[in-house]
Amino acid sequence: MHEVAIIDYGMGNLRSVEKGLQRVGVAAHITRDPTRIEAAAGVVLPGVGAFGACMDNLRRFGLVSAVRRVIDGGVPFLGICLGLQLLFDESEEFGPVKGLGIFRGRCVRFRDTGEPTLRIPHMGWNRIHKRRDVPHLDGIDDGEFVYFVHSYYVVPDDPALAVTTTDYGGQFVSSIACDNVFACQFHPEKSQAVGLRILRNFGAIVAGSGAMARSSVSVSSA
Amino acid sequence: MLIIPAIDLKGGKCVRLLRGDMAAETVYGDDPVAMGRRWVDEGAAYLHVVDLDGAVSGTPGNAAAIAALCASLPIPIEVGGGVRTAERAAALLDAGAAQVIFGTVALTAPHVVGDACRRHTGRIAVGIDARDGLVAVEGWTQTSAVTAVELARRAEQLGAARIIYTDISRDGTQQGVNVAATRAVAEAIGIPVTASGGVGSLADIEALRACEASGIDAVIIGRALYTGAVRLRDAIAAAGGAPRPVSGGRPAC
Repeated sequence: MHEVAIIDYGMGNLRSVEKGLQRVGVAAHITRDPTRIEAAAGVVLPGVGAFGACMDNLRRFGLVSAVRRVIDGGVPFLGICLGLQLLFDESEEFGPVKGLGIFRGRCVRFRDTGEPTLRIPHMGWNRIHKRRDVPHLDGIDDGEFVYFVHSYYVVPDDPALAVTTTDYGGQFVSSIACDNVFACQFHPEKSQAVGLRILRNFGAIVAGSGAMARSSVSVSSA
Repeated sequence: MLIIPAIDLKGGKCVRLLRGDMAAETVYGDDPVAMGRRWVDEGAAYLHVVDLDGAVSGTPGNAAAIAALCASLPIPIEVGGGVRTAERAAALLDAGAAQVIFGTVALTAPHVVGDACRRHTGRIAVGIDARDGLVAVEGWTQTSAVTAVELARRAEQLGAARIIYTDISRDGTQQGVNVAATRAVAEAIGIPVTASGGVGSLADIEALRACEASGIDAVIIGRALYTGAVRLRDAIAAAGGAPRPVSGGRPAC
């Protein structure tokens, strides 16, 4: 059964992500059980709130190893919002606070310039500019609008990680990809048809991935 | 400019009122999520949801429907109506609301709004509903002696991210938005304003777009969408197409 596990660590509105995935035909369940997470065919790490609180909760619920093992094991992994930021070395939010350190780089705050069109948090619809093609963005045109709510953004050490950038007082990295990981600063579950397409693409990747070969259930059409 | 369809809930059903009169309701559907899906399918990038029962009584009356909307629809949703406490605001944000709207307490208990704005920066809006320029509260059943502009200034001071301005006498009438009054509020403050009440045709959207520089960057459409006087796709096109970009795009004053 190639189900996607949505990690529940007490941060983020998981129901929207679950409903979004289900809407595009992806079987998904919310769980904080490391065993279920590590057995899933695909994993989503959502996240809303402060970086430090998210890391504390991941630790408190004993989920840090599970997240690392899933990523190291090549399971299709989708990080959303804080779920992107946490993958990096650290954040300056009430920090510096250490992250999972899966990717080199840090999270920094948008500068408060007082400019009325550049309020913090960056909240609203904005465009993603595709820097390279990945299957997660199949069918998504350059410049499509997606929905953001955040005050911090990732600055990867390796610019090649960036899949999309977005303009908010200057270009920032709005999504990254590396092997089995795709993570976005915006909320696909709140980004209308474009967001649902990204979730559908993730589902297709999960269905077509080697993770299926690990399960003892025979392949069935979704 | 963002076009925002409205879903007003009364007893779990989608209704439209005339000038806020709870006795003058038209029921447009009994499945709010289905209604929301319809607007999403027609291109909505944002929704405005009001708990009318909560607005009048001060006690939320449509919590389940609101939670279902926030969970089921793939777009951000702002929620108002009877939000009188910090706890209620936090609960709505936890349920997935993108923004929470305070109405009455912005006037009667501003510390509640200020507190919520500090806790949830950017996620709190203040709804200012006016009759002849004076703010009305408690589901529009009581008119105060405070002007809309004065309350808008106070709300900005409290840290509100946005003002949603409704002209009560136009609401549900499809007789045209009160552009002058909305503009007066927008020009008095530095935070953005959503216009609401009375949209009856695309001309209203064009009229608002013409003064976007004043700070009006969104408009809520209610009855006109339900009667078919305005088609959502046409309204979105008239407002400039795809969701308004967050950065740039604002015409020079």
